[in-house]
Order: sequence, then structure tokens, then C-alpha cells
Amino acid sequence: MAIEDPELLAEFIAESRDHLSHVEGQLLEIEANGADIDVDLVNNVFRGIHSIKGAAGFLGLVTVNRLAHGLENILGLMRTRELTPNSAMVDVMLRAADALAHLVNNAEASNDANVDDHVMRLDAIFTNAEGGAVAVVTATCTAVAEEEQHELDLDSAVDFVEQAMFDEAADDAAHPTAHAELEPAQMPIEAAAPPAPTVIDEPKSTASATPTAQAPTAVAESSIRVQVGVLDSLMNLAGELVLGRNQLIQALNTDAHVGIEAVASRLDQVTTELQEAIMRTRMQPIGAVFSKFPRVVRDLSAKLGKQCDVVMDGKEVDVDKTILEAIGDPLTHLVRNSIDHGVERPDVRVAAGKPAIGTIHLKAYHEAGKVRIDIADDGGGIYPEKLKKKAIEKGVITAEQAGRMTDREAVRLIFHPGFSTAEKITDVSGRGVGMDVVRTNIEKLGGTVDVDSNPGHGTTIQITLPLTLAIIPSLIIQSGDERFAIPQVNISELVRLRREEMAKRLDLVKSAEVLRLRGSLLPLVRLREVLGFGLPSIATTEDDSQATTNIIVVESGQQRFGIVVDALHDSEEIVVKPLGRHIKNAPCLSGATILGDGHVALILDVAGIAAHEQIGSAHETVSTSKGEETVHGDGDSQSVLLFTNHPLDHFAVSMDIVARIERIRADQIDSVGGQELVQYRESSVPLLRLENIISARPTEPQNWVYVIVFAIGGKEVGLIAPRLEDIRRVPTNVDTITFQEPGIQGSLTISEHTTRLVDLFQIAEIAHAEWFADQPKPNVEEGKKPLVLLAEDSTFFRKQVKSMVEERGYEVVDCEDGLLAWERLMEGDLEVDVVITDIEMPNLNGFELCQRIKQSKWSYLPVIALTSLAGASDMQRGIEVGIDDYQIKMDREKLLAALHNFTGAKAGSSRRHLQPA
Amino acid sequence: MSAVIAADRLGKTAELQFATFYVGHMLLGVDIRVVQEINRQSEITQVPHAPDYVRGVINLRGDVATVVDLRTILGLPASEASRQTRNLIVHHKGEAIGLLVDRISDILTLSDDQINPPPTNVDGVDGRLMSGVCTLDSAIVVLLDIDEVLADSARQE
Repeated sequence: MAIEDPELLAEFIAESRDHLSHVEGQLLEIEANGADIDVDLVNNVFRGIHSIKGAAGFLGLVTVNRLAHGLENILGLMRTRELTPNSAMVDVMLRAADALAHLVNNAEASNDANVDDHVMRLDAIFTNAEGGAVAVVTATCTAVAEEEQHELDLDSAVDFVEQAMFDEAADDAAHPTAHAELEPAQMPIEAAAPPAPTVIDEPKSTASATPTAQAPTAVAESSIRVQVGVLDSLMNLAGELVLGRNQLIQALNTDAHVGIEAVASRLDQVTTELQEAIMRTRMQPIGAVFSKFPRVVRDLSAKLGKQCDVVMDGKEVDVDKTILEAIGDPLTHLVRNSIDHGVERPDVRVAAGKPAIGTIHLKAYHEAGKVRIDIADDGGGIYPEKLKKKAIEKGVITAEQAGRMTDREAVRLIFHPGFSTAEKITDVSGRGVGMDVVRTNIEKLGGTVDVDSNPGHGTTIQITLPLTLAIIPSLIIQSGDERFAIPQVNISELVRLRREEMAKRLDLVKSAEVLRLRGSLLPLVRLREVLGFGLPSIATTEDDSQATTNIIVVESGQQRFGIVVDALHDSEEIVVKPLGRHIKNAPCLSGATILGDGHVALILDVAGIAAHEQIGSAHETVSTSKGEETVHGDGDSQSVLLFTNHPLDHFAVSMDIVARIERIRADQIDSVGGQELVQYRESSVPLLRLENIISARPTEPQNWVYVIVFAIGGKEVGLIAPRLEDIRRVPTNVDTITFQEPGIQGSLTISEHTTRLVDLFQIAEIAHAEWFADQPKPNVEEGKKPLVLLAEDSTFFRKQVKSMVEERGYEVVDCEDGLLAWERLMEGDLEVDVVITDIEMPNLNGFELCQRIKQSKWSYLPVIALTSLAGASDMQRGIEVGIDDYQIKMDREKLLAALHNFTGAKAGSSRRHLQPA
Repeated sequence: MSAVIAADRLGKTAELQFATFYVGHMLLGVDIRVVQEINRQSEITQVPHAPDYVRGVINLRGDVATVVDLRTILGLPASEASRQTRNLIVHHKGEAIGLLVDRISDILTLSDDQINPPPTNVDGVDGRLMSGVCTLDSAIVVLLDIDEVLADSARQE
């Protein structure tokens, strides 16, 4: 069939889709209302279908017209309350609406489609209800035509044809592909029997339908609706931009370029706003995806003989259009899974003391600049032991690995490839590819997926997604003469090897290069070779950049490997630009971006590189060299940076307080009045040398040195660390006896070297006591020092915290665990002002201690929790039990500042409270 | 090709304009309606694993445009870039693509009766890449069929 005007057709498709996207939810609502007909609601559906019918007739789409007419007839009767909707009718109507959606999406071929079955069923309902209803229908048609004028929809006010001219979507929409969810192939083509509830009895048709539903053929919406307000602000900003340009030209024409800074800052502001406004136009509410789930839940739970409600929160949460399109299939899969695997049959539920109707809770919300989607069911939950057993049977993990797994880790096995927990394989789920695919798809979007389950009570799947795919934080690296961007989401760490380390750390396994990294072997690829740039000329090792090897450890799905690059540049937020069609399919690349200097940099596709280089999954990397220390889960550990000042002097600093590490040339160091400084981003950072402060051998002169940057009271200070060795997790059983010197916390034996643990704050204080002069001291009343109750099981940390808090003028009562602290508090003779507690402690942990305190008469006491690194889940738990603040153990400055805030604000009042008690 | 069809529709004396340029010794022309702009050669970023006729990508005012080497497509030997090398940006299938040419020549206005169907090959260049040839007093202008020149699937062999 030839359509005269493809733009007109595209507009018809877009508009019809829009109507149909609402129809489904509205029909379900009509069903729920039953005899209590909401006339406005029915009118809405009626109008939608009527518009489609009218436009289809105009375009000569006779089949669409016929089907829409059938639907309209029934709706017309419902509207006048001549027909009471019931489940069976709505079922037929939903199917017809699905078929209509399919026809619309394939509008050009629609006239050849067969919809007799649907029309027959619709007509059956119609004629059964009201023989001579034709008059009613025609009457309502005219009424509707008027009502359409009032539609709030921006588009419908605009003339149909005129609007089509602005639609750039014509090309794409003219060749629509089949819509995955609305595949009418799943319509059972049965004899035209009177409509009956069609549940549980159609295995054949649905079996063929579900696999097609998985196919990634979702129609990509190529047009977008934008609020007029947003467009107005865009227009304004564009005007500002033009103004800025004119000012710039004017300023350039003057001799001294007068006022060019003002123009530049104005342009900067306008472009930033413009970018934000444009990003807003791409944001769409997630409700568009959520809205199809009531139908999915209704149909599937009925088919499986289950009862299930769906509750949705946060439909209004905005996410980027591209993400919205890509998240539909994974979410559908997860919802189906929840019904199939999660929610139990009503009899089972009642026996377990739960309501017969299960609930699936979909929740979207913003969290830390990302979008979170939770899918929670109140079903049977996942039993970790059952999963482990299955995983061992399937050879996914070994019995030994299973023994070491925590319950949480075991539950995560569901994301493992080739894993399915379904007792029997159903057509709904249980093919054992689902969750793995879901995870891969979500990770492709730069998101993560996690699962939490409470056996017997339900399962929650948590998805975290970036707000947009258009701007991604990336690391710029160099290979050969070209620069490339690697998305930060893929990067897990950077490793730099010096030439003399290479032999020790690099190895060959089956002719493939590997890196020894903390006791495991990591496959390595050389970017030059991957990209076919050829080998660098190794002869020219004079160049400093070749004396070291830069390795970027990347992760993508199951793969973890190292990429050897020639040089590292800055981190940048890059705007992703698509590649042209000639190079779109290049492996290893996912797009391009334009760097600050105007050059084009290509974006590396980590998964593509892994596939291109045939890197196996991370599970193949085996643990080697058992001699190396590994710290096991029992007991605290902390992450330290190891460095040497002199080949014989080994030092470590806690990573928790390191802001960053810089590499500078020795000649960049200035000396002003005996103080060494380095200029960094328009500020000067004072530098410290260990040998000037503590007993250490002096550094040998070097061209390049590393600077460990940390912050004291908001000011950055650097410690010169000539050679960096490694970053390790080490136990906290630090020897505090052997080396007793100010600035040294103690010593540890790491890799057979006695390593001294440096207290950065203390050495800074030794070198520059004046930096600490204006630090807040506690308000001392009547000569009484504020009293801190400290609970910490690690002797090392307890001593550290105690001494630094005492130094600042507090009094400290320290206890070896939460229970002792609680008992000490219960004795009642202490006038405690603030509690500092570790989280992980034997007998009574920090959460429990805090909970007890907050439920006692001491509930007013501020509680500061110390962690080695604050995890989000810990934070959440902490907030629940009432922890007032979190501080990182080794970050002395922040801890003292927090302490000051709590005691300063409450010192006076808390005492008065305590006296009468 | 599209130009010829357009000419047929408009009548016999329709005039067509072509941007002409040199690649090697050949004077080539493309329908001026597909030409977006002509740039000096800017810095090209190489694209690994790209087809051999793709020179790389450039920054075209904030968009990333593919640059193809006409020499490679026409089967001519490669040559060094010179000061006269230009990037002829054509707009094709919704995308800006740069054609690397050795030297820009004039804009030529031809009536369709001056255009002859292409022979099977001209100087070793496959006739399928051409929409026609035109014999002028001084030279022969080979008119390129831009759809064929920029076909991405056909040249994967």
C-alpha cells in the first residue's frame, strides 16, 4: 500500500502510539471499577480510539479503522452505561488494543493484516449488549469531535499536517519494527467462541510469544515531547548566546580587547545553562516504562494462578530518554521473575500467614546523583543454602568457595551466567539466561544491579542507573599519537610499574601477558596492539614515559583485565558523539568525543576490547603465590599506601586520609623562606620531607617524585614520597612499641620489610605547629574537660584515637568493645558528652551500642561512628539506629572537627541534663 | 544519479551545478546540492579497525565527521597531503562526511544534454561509481554518484 505522504503517516503513528500507551492502563482501571463506571475515564479512552479511527480513515488504513471502530462501539456503550464492563470484556478489549498497536506500528502493511478474530469478538460483545446501538455511536462521535478541542495535549491544538512538517522522525517512524511487548502473535487464534476468561489454558501460544518478547526490537521513539516552558527557556538562552557572541566580536574589535573577560564569563554561564536546559528536554518520567507493568502483572499472575498487586512509587522521576528506552526490557524481565519465582501461590501464602494477594513494589528515586529503581516482592525470598547447593551442582562454584560465601554473596549467584533457580523450567522464566542478561544489559548502560533477599519474606532487586548517557566521566589516555577516553565506570584502578618491577610483576601464561596484582593474575592487553598501531620503538627508553608502564585495570561484566597504555592524561567529563556509519561497527570503540583543545578522541569500549582480544571471564584468573600476605575477613584491616624514602626505609600511610597522589618534576619544587612548595592549579602546596621531621635516611636526588597530598583544615599539604610501592590492605595489629617517635604510629611487617606507619597529621604538626594554632579547642567550662566515651576493639586504633583526642583537650574513657562501653555508661558516674564508637566489635557492635544508648535515658548523647570506609549500607543502618555522624578512622581533622561541633554545641546543656539524673 | 533524475523531471533543458575538483589527474564533480562546505584539511584522528578508505574523524564544529579518502575509493595510489588538499564536506544520508580531494576546481553549470552516460571505466576507475561524464573543451569531467561512492556495505570485501 502506498501512502502519499510519509510525514503524515509518521505523525499518525506517533500520535496513535501516544493514545495507545494510555489506553492499556485506562482499560485496566475500567476493569477495576466494574459496574461503577467512571464516565470521564471511558470518555478518555473513547476519544483516543476515536482519533485513531478518524486519522486511519483519512489515510486509507482500512484495517486500523475497522478495529478501532469495533473498540469504539463497546466503549460507546460503556460510556452511556448501557454495558457494564467485566473482566472478560476488558480482556477482549486489551487484546484488540494490542493488535491495534501492532497495526499502527506496521501501518504500511496494516491493510493486509487479519483482524477478523478481534473484530468478531468485539462485535459479539457489542451486539449482545445492544442490538441497535448504531445511533448512539454516531451521536457520540459528534460529541467527541467537540471535546477534542479541549484536550490539554499541546499537539492536538496544532494542525495535524502543519505539525508533521516539524517532525524529524519521519524516516525512522516510517519503518517501524515490531513492538516487542505488544506482539500480536501471542493472540491465540481460536475459534470465534464467546469471550471467556482466557487464563491458564493457552500454553502453546504464549510459549511462542515470550521468547519474541525478549527480542531487542523495541520501537525506538524518535520524537520527543517537550514542555513549552523548557522550550521558552532554550529560546531565551539562545538569545543570550547571540548577545554574548556580539559582545565578543565587539570586544575583539577594540584594541586592548576591553571587557573580554566579562564576555567570556557570561558565555561560560550561558553555555552551562543551555546545556542543562537541553539535558532537561531529554529527561522523561520513568512512569512511561512503569505504566506497562500493571498489565504484565495482571496477565502473568492470572496465567500462573497467582494473585498479585503492583504498587508503584516515583513514576515522576526523570531519566534520560535513552536510558528509559533501554531499561524497559530488563525491568519487564525482573517483574516477570518476581511473579514467577517470588510470589507464591495463594494457598502457600495463606499457609505462611501472609495475605493471599502478593505485592510487587516498584520504586524509583534519586540517590547520590543516580537513579535507583527497586523491585521488591513479598514472596518466598531466596534461600542462600539452596542456591549454593545448586551452584555447586552446576559447577558454577566449588564447595570450598561456597563455604566462604556470605549469604549476600550467595544470593548474588542468581546473576551468574547459566544459573536458574526455578524448580521446573517454565515458559515465563527459568531458562537460566535471564538474570545474567539483565545484569549485562544494565551494566551496558553504566548501571549496577544488586539483590537482597529475606528468606520467607521477599526479595528486592536494586538497580542503580546514571541520570544520562550523554555525558560520562572518563579518563583520557594516550596510545601512539592518539588520545582515547575510557569511561570511569569501567575503571577499577590504575597500576604503574617501573622498569625494574616489570620482570617481577609481568608474566606469561599460555603466551598471554598477565599482571600479578595482589596475589592474583590479571590478563593484560596492550592497547597499541589491540588498535593495530604497532609496537613502540623500545630502543628509545631515554624517554621518561617509557621507564614506567601504565596499566588501567578495567572491569566490564564478568571480565576484569588490564590495559597497557602509553600515557595517562586528565579525567574529563566528556560528551558522547556518535560515529558515522562507515566506522560505527569498529570493534573496541563506542563513540567519540571532542576534547577541550578541539581534537577528536575516540571512546574505548571495554567490553568490545575484551571480546576482540578474547579475554575470558574473571573467574579464570587464579590465585597465585600464596606467600603474599592476604588479609582475611576476620579482624579489621586498613588500606595503606606503601612508599620508600630511601631503598632501606619503608613507610606506609593510611589511604583514608590521602586526598590524591601527584607526580611532579623535582625542578617544579620551589623553596621560599626555607619552605618547599609546589604550584598546583593556581595554589601553592607546602611540601614536607620525612627526613627533616623524623629519623629517616635522606632521599637520593631524583628527577621525578611523588607527592602524597592530604588536607589540614581545608588546606592542602604534600608529603614527598620518592618511590611508591603499592597499595595494600593490611591488618591493624600494629606494633606500637618498637618505634616510638612523634610522627610514627607504629610499625608493621609487609613483604618482609619493617614498615613504619606515618601519621601525616602529626608530622605536619611537628613541622608547622602554627597550622594547627587556630584549630578549634573544646569549650572548657570551670576547668572541666569534655568527656568522650570511646568504644574500639582494635588496640591500635583505640590508642590512636585516644591520644589524638586527648591532645586536643578532651578527656577519654576507652573501652574494648561495645558491651564494656555500655556497662561503663550504665554505672552512671560518668558525665559523658559524646560517644565515639567503632562499628565492627565483638559482643556488642557499634549499631547495637548506639541503639541501646538512643533508647535509654542517654538518648541525647551524640554518637559518632568510626569506620574504615563508610559504605552506603552501613550509613543507612547507622541512620536507622540514630548514629549522629560518621567519620573515617584515620581522618583526624574531620573527626576532631565533628567532635568539636557536638561538644561545642551541647557542652553546656548536656551537663545540666546529667546532673539531676 | 539523483541529479539526472531530477533533470528528467524538470524537463530537458534543466541546468545542473557541479562542484569540481581534482584527485590525481582526474577532474571529478559532485552535485552541488550535496556539498555542505569545503574546508582546509584539519587534524584527523585515526580510527583503529576502520575500513581502509576511512582516513579518520574530524571535529566539524562540535560534530564528529568521518573523513574518507577518495583516492582509496577510486583505486588510485595514495599520496601525501599538500597545501591544496581540501576536505569536501558532503551531506549524505543525514550525516556529514568529508571527502579528501587533492585540489578544488570550479563550479560547473551543465545542462543535462551535455551529460553522457558513463563508460565502464575511466582511467581505471570503475564506471559504477559515476553518474555520468561530460566532455568540455579542455577536459573530461567525471561526475560521481555519491550514493555509490559512500556506500558503506558494498566495499567491505
